[in-house]
Amino acid sequence: MKGQADQKKEATKTVKKVKTTNKSAPVRLWVKAAFTGFRRSKVQQNENQALLKIQHVEDVASSRFYWGKRVAYIYKAHTLQNNTKFRTIWGRISKSHGANGVVIARFGRNLPPRAIGSTLRVFLYPNRA
Amino acid sequence: MPAKKRTVRIGNWYKSDDEKVHFVRKRKAPRPAKLRKIVPGQVLILLSGRFQGKRVVFLKQLKSGLLLVTGPFKINGVPLKRVNSAYVIPTSTKVDVTGVNANQIDDDYFKRTQAQRRKNEQGFWAKRGELTAEQQTAEKTRLDGKRNTQKSVDAALITAIKKTQLLKQYLGARFTIGKTTRPHELVF
Repeated sequence: MKGQADQKKEATKTVKKVKTTNKSAPVRLWVKAAFTGFRRSKVQQNENQALLKIQHVEDVASSRFYWGKRVAYIYKAHTLQNNTKFRTIWGRISKSHGANGVVIARFGRNLPPRAIGSTLRVFLYPNRA
Repeated sequence: MPAKKRTVRIGNWYKSDDEKVHFVRKRKAPRPAKLRKIVPGQVLILLSGRFQGKRVVFLKQLKSGLLLVTGPFKINGVPLKRVNSAYVIPTSTKVDVTGVNANQIDDDYFKRTQAQRRKNEQGFWAKRGELTAEQQTAEKTRLDGKRNTQKSVDAALITAIKKTQLLKQYLGARFTIGKTTRPHELVF
């Protein structure tokens, strides 16, 4: 079975040349935030300002760290755009809201109401440190 | 008392109708960015891009204000790279960079060559995008030069890194936010 052995050798030869892919676990460099709703009074809301509850942020002093940080709402659509079915709406955290760590974010285009309750990504940039 | 006559000053020069003047911004030179508390040799965490989470060593600030960093390449795969200081977290870890010579690297080192731009062309310009034989050899020598620069800059850095225990593993590991991580409480 010389032919088979030769073929196997060739196969292993080519496998050696192939570059190994990155097998490390994906890293998360963003903080989870829940979009709880728009800034509002009892009967009126302002869709330009989205209220975000950032995970593990319970007071105003902690929420100050996130001022200016960029936020993304990521959703899937049916059609391809820029070679991907994922789409984003980008925004920034503009100020704190209340005493319990909730922040207000403003987006390039206002968030759709169906995003209420969904998780948004608060990135750590721009870093003001 | 007679009312004061309001006079309008008419300019002496009238532009011709067909002359188009481009709007020119007055500020042409970039303002040198202030480097806030980042010292050469400091380990930074990259926050976005292909190398997000990677810990890299800061070498110097370029004229454009961007930070020049390197992995080193052998340790974590990050090459000589420019990074915006807003997209970086500085850590308290410092590496001794007295032996590292990055003087010849500036913003021009990162400029895209015409051959590179040609390579990226698609569609109608795809034919033009194919490199000629001499362009290919020029590219090859350019990339070899880049590899050599990388090696020479990293050599001194890696010997300095090896002196500290676990620093090599630290630079090879990536920063990530876990379930209970609170970035606002972390002291980097």
